[in-house]
Amino acid sequence: MKTTKTIFQDGNHKWVAIVRDPQRPDYLIDTNEYLVTHGGQGLLLDPGGAEVFPAVFSALSSEFDPSALAGIFASHQDPDICSSLALWLEFNPDMRCYVSWLWSSFIPHFGGSAETFVALPDEGGDISLEGLMLRAVPAHYLHSSGNFHLYDRVARILFSGDVGAALLPPAEDGLFVEDFDRHIRHAEAFHKRWMGSNEAKRRWCERVSQLDIDLLCPQHGAIYQGADVQRFINWFDELQVGIAGA
Amino acid sequence: MSRTTLHEASADAGAGADLLRIVRINEEIKSVVGIAFRINIMALNAIFLAKRAGTTALGFGVLSNELRVFSQDLRTGMEALTGLVHACVAEVSRVLQDIRHTGLLRRAVADVERPGPAAVLARREAENAAHSAHLAELRKALQRALEDAFRLVELGSVLAKSAKIEAAYGQSFAGELSQVSGEFAGVVEEIRESLESLRRSAFFNPPREAGRAF
Repeated sequence: MKTTKTIFQDGNHKWVAIVRDPQRPDYLIDTNEYLVTHGGQGLLLDPGGAEVFPAVFSALSSEFDPSALAGIFASHQDPDICSSLALWLEFNPDMRCYVSWLWSSFIPHFGGSAETFVALPDEGGDISLEGLMLRAVPAHYLHSSGNFHLYDRVARILFSGDVGAALLPPAEDGLFVEDFDRHIRHAEAFHKRWMGSNEAKRRWCERVSQLDIDLLCPQHGAIYQGADVQRFINWFDELQVGIAGA
Repeated sequence: MSRTTLHEASADAGAGADLLRIVRINEEIKSVVGIAFRINIMALNAIFLAKRAGTTALGFGVLSNELRVFSQDLRTGMEALTGLVHACVAEVSRVLQDIRHTGLLRRAVADVERPGPAAVLARREAENAAHSAHLAELRKALQRALEDAFRLVELGSVLAKSAKIEAAYGQSFAGELSQVSGEFAGVVEEIRESLESLRRSAFFNPPREAGRAF
């Protein structure tokens, strides 16, 4: 089972990270899921693949009633992002899935009906969670051609999908980045290979630099906090991406 | 490996084997359809031959015509079987999906103390049972359709034998008519053997309904 860690709380407004399953088989990439709750409702960010569903569900249920999940935010279309969709829908068939319009007819292959999907336009938009306005921030081509991150202005948290991701060795898999220079070595190859466009990367860096961010939460690896957030944005801005060995 | 996981693995393997079996049945049916088409052509040729032979092959002509009708009936029967096979493929696939889906749900719910998730699992298991029951009905319907086809082929076999007897009265055409009737008997036997092998398919004798094993 994964563990849960509350990374922000203000009354009933909460961010919970669902992370690190010691029983996860090595052939599955490790993923972080995030639950945002407000006013009794929940939004699950990148709920993960079908294979990790039992571990994520058990952990989430220890914190929150899964039938009160109002929606799922899928940063993009990959199987480690949302191939568990059909399983989550078992607990609330009325749940909505927010995803780029580009993938809104592809992700139904993982489950759901025409009513399930809310197609986000390229420029993004607001998602309301019991009055809390969350912002879908465009991150196209980082790495997917239809990609969004999610910003919570009140909590000052940016869920950054694959941006900021790091493939951490077991001995260095803490929830927060402790030593940026040491940590970023585990992120470099990932960003060079997975991120496809320097132009898109530059736009993203400019866009998120204008946001107040205390925590930058990627889908893999550790969370950047405080000064490490801007440090990461600067590092990413300098990095040449879209590079393959062959 | 836990008992539940063993059950899931066994159910998964059972449904997987079912899918393979039903695909093989479909291939066999396709070959029977091909043979039925050959009988139709052969019967047409036999009708022309009987016309050339005139009054000495009147009976043979009538039987050739009946064999043509038989080939058409057989093709209709095979179309019905194909429809049922496709329905079985869809249902076996659904049961396979159920097994994986429910296995993941069961593992997810195992450590949860809230009552809601257990009710969701129970609802899902009820849906699985309905899918399994539907598959069981389809198996029976396919088996019945196969028996109908088998009876039809028995009729074809009788027609081929009668054509052989009639060929003997064909005087100067007796040799040709006998050859044609022999070919009829050969292809009808080919179909009979195909249907016999379908009857023996383990698809019709599952140890237990796949969906109920998990």
